[in-house]
Amino acid sequence: MMIIDDHVEVPAQPSRLLIEPTPPELLRHPLDFLFAEHYRHRQLCRILDHLAEAAAADLPLMARADDFIRYDLALHVIDEEEDLFPLLRRRCEPDDDIDQVIGRLSGDHRDDAALARTVRAHFAEALAKAVPIWKIANGPRDLRQFARQERAHVALENAVVMPLARARLGGEDQRALSRRLAARRGIYLEN
Amino acid sequence: MIGDLLSNNLRWAATKTRMDPEYFRRLSEQQTPEYLWIGCSDSRVPANEVVGLDPGELFVHRNVANLAPSQDANFLSVLQFAVEVLRVRHIIVCGHYGCGGVRAAMGGRRLGLIDHWLSPIRALHDERFEEMAQIADFETRVNAMCEANVVAQVRNVTANPFVRDAWAKGQKLEVHGWIYSIRDGLIRDLEVSVSRQPGPAPKRRPRSQPAIVGRVPPGSKPRLVHVCTPDCDHDH
Repeated sequence: MMIIDDHVEVPAQPSRLLIEPTPPELLRHPLDFLFAEHYRHRQLCRILDHLAEAAAADLPLMARADDFIRYDLALHVIDEEEDLFPLLRRRCEPDDDIDQVIGRLSGDHRDDAALARTVRAHFAEALAKAVPIWKIANGPRDLRQFARQERAHVALENAVVMPLARARLGGEDQRALSRRLAARRGIYLEN
Repeated sequence: MIGDLLSNNLRWAATKTRMDPEYFRRLSEQQTPEYLWIGCSDSRVPANEVVGLDPGELFVHRNVANLAPSQDANFLSVLQFAVEVLRVRHIIVCGHYGCGGVRAAMGGRRLGLIDHWLSPIRALHDERFEEMAQIADFETRVNAMCEANVVAQVRNVTANPFVRDAWAKGQKLEVHGWIYSIRDGLIRDLEVSVSRQPGPAPKRRPRSQPAIVGRVPPGSKPRLVHVCTPDCDHDH
């Protein structure tokens, strides 16, 4: 291991730094699909932490993380904000306190979106200069913060929202959700 | 440049004709739409396009925030013509998430004449203030109000005398509430469809639990999504 300017060079571990694609067949099981997406978000968090620490510039990895935030994460926010959450608001029982939970998660999405813009700006600068993130002002701090926020958000969704969704959404709800998740990704699912 | 629009029009008409030489002849010979669309003026929601229909297949009325006010002569004329002359089979009230009209009605800023137009949404927001206050994030609250507004407009349409007269005469007519997202181009059915079938509740998919809008304050009765029909004997 080599130490450069107080930054520890973490040897790249390709298998840990991949964001696996979600198997398309999971679209038929929308709650599993969303759960799998959360797993991919955790993979992104691992990459962000790695990039925040890395002494050397891994430009392809930065570009992949940037693309994921730009496309996959943005799509996932629509999956939830304008699909799963409104559906849950209609289906949940009063005791579920769904509005409070969703209100918090939507607030998280808003905060994440703001921080995502900052992180993407750091990536753009690092990519343009072909330098590691630690050479970008506030870069490591913002990447770590984004990863921390995202992990907490996913944990709350997995612990509260997903079990509620499994309990409250019926078969027809899930079929309709499947078709919309697929359409959002350019796939038309027959009923 | 405004001239570009005229050039675009020439290109569009020529392309349509090239692709389908009968297109304009067919369109000009009849207007027999089965659907009346009551939607928002927002230019990002092209009504017939989002449901994959040709222009002649959808009778369209648009205004800011897709309202169906019982005092608006424009809306009433459209509704009467659609129901009595065109004899449409379906009336679709389609709102959209992030609606600027709904957002404006929820904000405190005075905007002028539009404040009067949006006053029904403001009243609806006041009515549901406690429920909406549970949603901490403003944009999420706007989206919840966009849905609530569609449900309220469906209720307005079903209470309209033209619609009730049509049902009384045995005319087949259904009213639906949908919401569209500009971010993905997809429509969500809000499951508040009403046909002339008797019964207190709107037609919805069979479910084990009733649909409840929002969180209910402790001690109060859950508010069911309910749109009255002419035959409704529900205790209001």
